[in-house]
Amino acid sequence: MAIAKAERLMNLALCLLGTRRPLSKRELRESIEAYLEAGSDDSFNRMFERDKDDLRELGLVIETVENLDGEVGYLARRDSNRLPPITLDAEEAAALGLAAKVWQQARLAGAASGALQKLRAAGLPEDVDPYEAHGALEPHIPVHEAAFEPLMLACRDRRPVVFDYRKATAAHPETRHVEPWALECWRGHWYLAGWDRDRGAERVFRLSRITGKVRTRAGRYTAEVPDVVTVRETVAGWAGEIADRSALIRLRSGSGYPLRAKAVSVRELGDGWDELEIPYGHGLDAWLVEFGPDVVVLEPAELRADVVDRLRAVAKG
Amino acid sequence: MVGKPARPTNAIDQTRRMLSLVTYLRERPGARVGDVARAFGVTEDELISDLDVLPLCGTSFRGGDLLDIDTDGDRIWWHNPDDVAEPLRIAADEATALLVAARAVSTLPGLREGDRQALLRATAKVEAASGEAAGASSRLSVTFESEGGVFADVDRAISERRRLWIRYYSPSRDELTEREIDPIRLVSVGHTYVEAWCRRSEARRTFRLDRVAEIRILDEPSAPPEVELRDLSEGLVQPAAEDPEVVVEVGPGGRWVAEYYPHDSADELPDGGLRITLRTPDPASLRRLALRLGGDGRIVSPQVLADSARQAAREALAAYDGLDGLQGDQDGPYDRQEQGL
Repeated sequence: MAIAKAERLMNLALCLLGTRRPLSKRELRESIEAYLEAGSDDSFNRMFERDKDDLRELGLVIETVENLDGEVGYLARRDSNRLPPITLDAEEAAALGLAAKVWQQARLAGAASGALQKLRAAGLPEDVDPYEAHGALEPHIPVHEAAFEPLMLACRDRRPVVFDYRKATAAHPETRHVEPWALECWRGHWYLAGWDRDRGAERVFRLSRITGKVRTRAGRYTAEVPDVVTVRETVAGWAGEIADRSALIRLRSGSGYPLRAKAVSVRELGDGWDELEIPYGHGLDAWLVEFGPDVVVLEPAELRADVVDRLRAVAKG
Repeated sequence: MVGKPARPTNAIDQTRRMLSLVTYLRERPGARVGDVARAFGVTEDELISDLDVLPLCGTSFRGGDLLDIDTDGDRIWWHNPDDVAEPLRIAADEATALLVAARAVSTLPGLREGDRQALLRATAKVEAASGEAAGASSRLSVTFESEGGVFADVDRAISERRRLWIRYYSPSRDELTEREIDPIRLVSVGHTYVEAWCRRSEARRTFRLDRVAEIRILDEPSAPPEVELRDLSEGLVQPAAEDPEVVVEVGPGGRWVAEYYPHDSADELPDGGLRITLRTPDPASLRRLALRLGGDGRIVSPQVLADSARQAAREALAAYDGLDGLQGDQDGPYDRQEQGL
C-alpha cells in the first residue's frame, strides 16, 4: 500500500527540523521510506519538490544551501521556525477559539485551526469552551463562490488574474484582466476590488458574477496598490444605501414597515394613508414597486415616472 | 459540534496538526485522548488516526529514530520525547485566516464588551507573534451585519433562558406580527438571525434581526423543546421537495434572481435571460418579486401568482390616474421594457 502523504510530509518536516546541517536530496531520500519507494528519480524529484512547497505553505521556512562539495542541501533552522513567545490568558484564548470557527471555507477553516493548534502547542489555555464563554453567538463567514480561493491566493501573492465576468444586466460575460487588491465580504457576499486593466480604472467585482475559472497571469502589477481599499462604499452605493436626495410617498396605514423604519418623517393623513419622506438612492424605484397598490409616489417626478414605468410593464404581463 | 463544516481529511491539515501535536504531547505526558481531541478541535477518531501515523515518523526510519508515541485509547504516552518538537511559527495563510476572522467577530455589535476587549488583545498578540506573515491579512475583510440593540436582548435572553416577545416583519405579507419565541441560538451568515421555537406556530423558526421591529425580554422562562440543530452552512433557506414549484423567466436585467433565491434549476434563454425553477412553501410570497422585476421578468407559473401580480400593478397604476404629467404616454416608450419576454 502506498504510504500516506501526511506520513511522508511529517517525515520530511521532522528530518529538516531535526538536522543541524543541510541534508542533501540523496540523504533525505535514504531517510524517508516513502521516497525510497518512489521508484524512478523523476517521480522522486517531483514528489520532493511538491512536498517542500506544501511544507512552506504550512509556514515552514526551508533553506536551500550549497555544502562544501557543491551539493545542494536543505534544512529548516530552529530559530527561524520557532514561534516567538506569546502568552494568552483564558479569556483571550476563548475569544480566539470562537474566531477560529467562523470560516466555512475549507482552506481557511483548516488554516485557522492550524494557527490555533500551533498556539495550543505553545501553551494556549484550553479549559474554556468558546461557545459557553460567548453565549449563543455563532458567527459564520459564508463562502459559496468558486472564485474565492484562486482570488484569495492571487491577492496574497499579488498576481494578475483573468476571468469572465457577467455584469448584473449583461446578457453575456466579458473577459476582464484585473490586478486584484483585496476581497471583502459584505452582507454574506464576496467582492473583489482591483485595477481593471481593460478599463484603466479601479473596479469592484461581485464574485458570484464571475463565470468559469480564474486564471493567474505572469508579470507585475502596473498600477500602484492603494493603502486603503474601500470596497464597502462602492457596494453600498450599488445597494442604494447612499442617498443624497429624498422622496415623498403616500403609504397605506399599517403597511410598509421597512419604509417607515427608514423614513425621515411620517405624517398621518387621516384617510387611511400616511405621507412619508424617505431617502432616495439607487434602486428605490424597484423597491417601491414591491409594495404594489400600498405605495403612491408623489415626488420627485422622475422617481414617479420610473415606478409607473415598472408597474405598466407588470400590468401588461 | 454545532455548525462545524464537514471537511474531508486533508494531508496538509493533518501534517499541520501532527506537528503541533508532538509539541503539545511533549509537555503533557499521559494526556487524555478526549482532552487532546477537544484542544485540537478534532474528533477522537481523527486524533487516533494521527496517533497511528506518528510512530511511523521520525528523522530516519532506518536508524530507528522514530517517534515512540502510543495510546491505550484513554491516555497518550511519548516514550522518547526530543527537542525537535518546538512550537512552530504561524504561516501566512494561518495568520490571515485567524486574524480576518478575529477582526470580523470583534465588530459584531452583540459581542459582550469584555469578550471584545479580550479578542482585541489576543488579535494584537497574534499579529505581533506572526510577524511578516500577518501582512497579507489586510487583503481580506469581513463585515457582519447585525442590529446592536436587538442582538444584545436576544443574547441576554439566551444566557438567562428567558422568553422573548417580538414584533416581526414578514416581507412576503408586508405585515408585522407579534410572537413569543424561545430563543435557541444566534447565527451570523451575512445577516444575523435568531433561531427559536415560535410559540405561535409551535415550530422552529429563524428570524432575521433587522426585521425585528420591537423586542422585549419576558419574565417567563424559555423552554424550547429539544431540537436537533441544523447545519446552516448551506444557507438558512432550505426548500422542501413537497413545496409548490414556481417558474420565473427573467431577461438579462433579472439574472440577479438566481443569485438571491435558492432554486432547483436555472436554464439559459436565447436572449441572455434565465428560466428559473424554484420551490417555496408559499408562492403568494413571490408577488413582491414579480412586481420588483417589472419589465425584467415575469412569473410563468403558477398562473394565479402571475395574475395577482398583474392585478396589483393595475390597482397601483389606478392611483396615478389623477396625478399630473402621466397622461398621454400609456404605450410607446414602455415597449423597450418588454425585452422579448
